[in-house]
Amino acid sequence: MLRLGSPRRRINIGLIGMTFVLSIFAGRLIQMQGLDTKVYAAAAADQRQHTEDIPAKRGSITDVNGHELAVTVEARDVSIDPSKVPAGARANMAAILAKHLGKDQQDIAAKLARTDTRYQLLARGVDPVVASRLLQARVPALSAKNTYRRLYPAGDLAGSLIGFVGDEGDGLGGMEQARNSLLAGRDGEMRVETGRDGLRIPMTSSQRTAPVNGRDVRLTIDRDIQWAAQKSIGEQVRESGADSGTVIVMDVRTAQIIAMANSPELDLNNWRKAPASSYVNKAAADVFEPGSTNKVITAAAALEAGVVRPDTVFEVPDRIRCADQVLRDAHAHKTESMTFRQAMAQSSNVATIMAARKVGSEGLYRMLKAFGFGTRPGGGVPGAEAGLLPDYKKWSGSQSCTVAYGQGVSVTALQMASVYQTIANGGVKIDPQIVAGTTDPSGRFVPAPAGKQTRVVSQTTAKEITAMLEGAVGEEGTGQLAAIPGYRVAGKTGTANRYDAELGRYDGYTASFVGFSPADHPRLVVLSVLQNPKNGHFGGQLAAPVFKDVMTFAIKSRKIPPTGSAAPPVRTRAGQ
Amino acid sequence: MTGRTAAVRRPSLLRRVAGENSAVRRFDGLMLVAVAGLCVIGTLLVWSSTRTWAPGATGLVKKHLLNQALGVVLCGIVASIDHRAMRAYAPLVFLMSLVGLGLVITPLGATINGSHSWILLGGGFAVQPSEFAKVGLLLITAMLLAQPAEGSDRPRGFDVVLALLAAALTIGLVMLQPDLGTAMVLAVIAASALIIAGVRKRWIAALTMVAGAGVFAVFYFQLLEPYQVARFTAFVDPSVDPRGVGYNSTQSLIAIGSGQLLGKGLLGGGQTTGRFVPEQHTDFIFTVAGEEFGFLGSVTVVLLLGVVLLRGLKIARQCEDRFGTLVAGTIVCWFAFQMFINVGMTIGIMPITGLPLPFVSYGGTATFANLIAVGLLQAIRVRGHSFS
Repeated sequence: MLRLGSPRRRINIGLIGMTFVLSIFAGRLIQMQGLDTKVYAAAAADQRQHTEDIPAKRGSITDVNGHELAVTVEARDVSIDPSKVPAGARANMAAILAKHLGKDQQDIAAKLARTDTRYQLLARGVDPVVASRLLQARVPALSAKNTYRRLYPAGDLAGSLIGFVGDEGDGLGGMEQARNSLLAGRDGEMRVETGRDGLRIPMTSSQRTAPVNGRDVRLTIDRDIQWAAQKSIGEQVRESGADSGTVIVMDVRTAQIIAMANSPELDLNNWRKAPASSYVNKAAADVFEPGSTNKVITAAAALEAGVVRPDTVFEVPDRIRCADQVLRDAHAHKTESMTFRQAMAQSSNVATIMAARKVGSEGLYRMLKAFGFGTRPGGGVPGAEAGLLPDYKKWSGSQSCTVAYGQGVSVTALQMASVYQTIANGGVKIDPQIVAGTTDPSGRFVPAPAGKQTRVVSQTTAKEITAMLEGAVGEEGTGQLAAIPGYRVAGKTGTANRYDAELGRYDGYTASFVGFSPADHPRLVVLSVLQNPKNGHFGGQLAAPVFKDVMTFAIKSRKIPPTGSAAPPVRTRAGQ
Repeated sequence: MTGRTAAVRRPSLLRRVAGENSAVRRFDGLMLVAVAGLCVIGTLLVWSSTRTWAPGATGLVKKHLLNQALGVVLCGIVASIDHRAMRAYAPLVFLMSLVGLGLVITPLGATINGSHSWILLGGGFAVQPSEFAKVGLLLITAMLLAQPAEGSDRPRGFDVVLALLAAALTIGLVMLQPDLGTAMVLAVIAASALIIAGVRKRWIAALTMVAGAGVFAVFYFQLLEPYQVARFTAFVDPSVDPRGVGYNSTQSLIAIGSGQLLGKGLLGGGQTTGRFVPEQHTDFIFTVAGEEFGFLGSVTVVLLLGVVLLRGLKIARQCEDRFGTLVAGTIVCWFAFQMFINVGMTIGIMPITGLPLPFVSYGGTATFANLIAVGLLQAIRVRGHSFS
C-alpha cells in the first residue's frame, strides 16, 4: 500500500496557489477593462486616430476683365520615409530626386540620412506630373500629398498690390493678405485610424469634413493699363535715377483704381529673393510731402471761402517772410502782378501763401481734412496709410505757410490721386475702390458696393479749379509736357523737398504730376510720382511725361473720345 | 439478415467507444471541453491578428487548424495508451527528445524569429524539439521519482540525482539555442516533479539555493543577452523606454485595457488590426482576446485555463499510482507556469518572456506538445483509479 499523503498535500497546496493566481488575474482584468478602461481606450484612440488636412483651393485674383493675376493649381508635397531607404541606395536616390525636384543634391542626401525619422519633406508644390513620375518609379518610401500651389501668371504685374502667399497658405502681403480669409476658404479634414506602420487600418470608420474653397476676388485693375503704367514709370525711374516711382490711374466717376504701379516692382513668383522693401504697396503706403500738387486744396479753400476769385490779382514778389523764415518761389523773379489762375499755372509759392493767409490756418486745415488728409482711405486698398496732417493749432509759424504749397504735410500717392478725383468729379469725393467684386459660395460674381461719396467742394469751385489746372498744362504752365494732342488735360506739377527719414533731414526731391482728362468731361485721373530722382528734379520735367504716356495709353485703351471742344482762352496776365 | 444478427451479437462500434464501460466515458469531459474552447478561441484570435498581413496570411490560420487536428490525433493516441506502459517507454522518449535538441545545434537546425530552435521539415513545416523536450523531461523525472525508497514514501537519493542530471542536460541543450523561456519551463517541470514526489524539504531548500546562486551568477557574469536584461528593467518601470523595451508592455496594456466590458468585436480591434502589439498571434495573443472580446472574453479564457488546471490537479490527486500522480501534477505545473507568465506579462504583472499561451497561441510543435500532455492526463484519468 502506497502512502500518498505527502504528494496529495502538496497538490492541494498547488490547488490553492493556482486559484489564488487566477483570482489575481481576474482582479487585474477588472481593473484594466472595467475601472481604468477609459484611460486605456483614450490612449488607444490617441494612437490610432490621425487627422489629415484636406486643403481648400484658394480663390483666384483677377483683373477687372477676368485675366488671372493670382491662381491656384494642383500640386504635390513630396516626402520620404528615410528609414526605408537602404544606405547603399541613398546617394543614387538623392541624385535622382534632386534632379526631378529641382533641389540641391546635398540637401536631399542630408534628409535621406535622417534614418531616425520616418518623415522628411523633400519638396513643396511639386508639379503633379513630376510627382507621379517619381511615384511610379516605385520608390517605396516616397509619398506625395495633394496640395495646391499659388502661381502668378503676370509675374511682377501689380506685384506688391496683389501680394503673395507663404508656405502655410496664408497671404503675407497685398490683397493676398488683406482678403486672406475670403480667398483662403476653409480647409477640410479627414479623420482616419492608422496602424503602427502609418497605413489606414482596414474597416475602420473615417470622418471627412469637406473643404470650403476660397472665393475669387476681381480687382478694378485693368491688366493692360497696369502694364503700360508699370512700364512707363519703370523706365522713368531708371532714366531719372530715382529711388522709386508710382503711377495711379483712377476712374473719375467711380474712384475705381485702374492701375497702381510701383517701381521697382515685386516679382511674385520669386518673392523670397526680393528685398522686403519691395513687399510694400508704395502707392498706398509710402508717405511723402506732396509739394505744389497740394495747391489745389489751398485754392479750393480760398474759392469756397469766397476770399479769392480765379481772376483776383496778387502783387507777387519772389519771396515772402513767414514767421522766422523767408519762403521763395522756385525761380527768382521781379515783383509782378498775376491773377490767382496765373499763379496756379506758374505754381507760385508766394501767391499761394498770400491766398492761404486770406483763408486762415483753420480753414486750410478743414479743407485738407475734407480731402482725406490724415485719414486712412476706405475702399480696401491693401497697406493704405493715413499720411500726416498735424492739427493746425500745432502748426509752427512757417508751417502755416508751407502747408499751403504742400510742405510740412505728408500724404500717400493714393490720397493725392483721390484729391484730383474729387475735383474732376465736380467736388464729390469717392473712397478709392480696388475690388470690383467677389464670387459668392456658388461661384456667381457679386459686384462690390460703390464707394462712399462725400461732397468736398461745390461744383463751381471744382470747375474753377479745373480751369486753373488746365492752365497749368497750357503754354504758360509748368506742366506743358503733360499735354496730350487732341485732348484737354487738367493737372498740376509738384516738386517738393523730400524728407529723408533715414537721414533725418530734407534731402533730394519728390517730383510729381497729377491730373485728369478730358478736362471738360473728366474720365480718368493719372498720378505719377518719382522719389529722389538724380537726373533732374522738377515734376513738370520728370513726372509729366509719365502722366502723358500713361494717360494717352489709358484713353486709347478705354476708347475715350476727345471732347472736341477747345480749352477756354486762359487769361494769365493780370489785366490782359 | 446476417448483418443484423452480427449487430445483435457484437456491440456496435459506437457502443464500444462510448459505452458504459468504455474509456471515452471515463475521460474528463470538462477538461476536454475547456481545451476545445481554448483551441477554438485561439483559432479566431490567430485569424484576427494575422488576416491583414501580406498575401499568405490566411495560410497561417489554415496551418494552425491543421496543427490542431494533428494535435487532436496525437492526443487520442496518447490517451489510449496505458500510462503505466508509458513508464517503460519514458527513457526512450527522453532520449529521442535529447536527440532532437542535439539536432538543432547541428547544421540541420534553423533560426526562425531570432531563436535557433527549429528543424525544418520541408514544405513549410518546422518543428521545435524543445517543446517535445518538455514531455520527455516530465516522463523521465516522473519515472525516476515514482519509485520510493525502501520503507519510505520519499524517492531515493540516487534517483533524485539522476532526475536532476536529466533536467540539467535538457536545460543545458535548450540554453545553447538559447531559449531562456523554454529553459525556465523545463526547470519548473523538474522542480515540480521533485516537490510532488515528496523530496525532503531540506533538499528542496538546498536546490532553491543552488538555483538562486545560478540566477545570481547569470546576472553577475552577464550571461543574459542585453535585451533580456532590458525586459526586466522595463518590467520594473515600463516608462523607462516606452518606444523601446517598454513598448511591448505598454501596447499590450493599451490593447487589453481598451477592450472594456464586451470588447470591440472579433476583427474589430483597432490596436490589433493596426498591429501595434508585436508577436500578437503567438506570445501576445491574450491581448487580442482582451481587445476584441473585452472583459467577458478575457475572463472566459482565464476561466477555461483555470478549468484545465483544476481538473488536471484533480486527476493527479485521484490517481492511485505514483507515476500517474507525478506526470499529471507536473503537467499541471508546466501549464500553470506558462499560463501565468504569459497572461501575467500581457496584463503587466510579469516581465516580458517569450512563452506562448497553451492551446491559444499559434505554433505547431507547442500545440502538439500541449495536446499530447492533455492525452497523458486523460490516460491517467481513465486508468489511474478505480471508478466506483
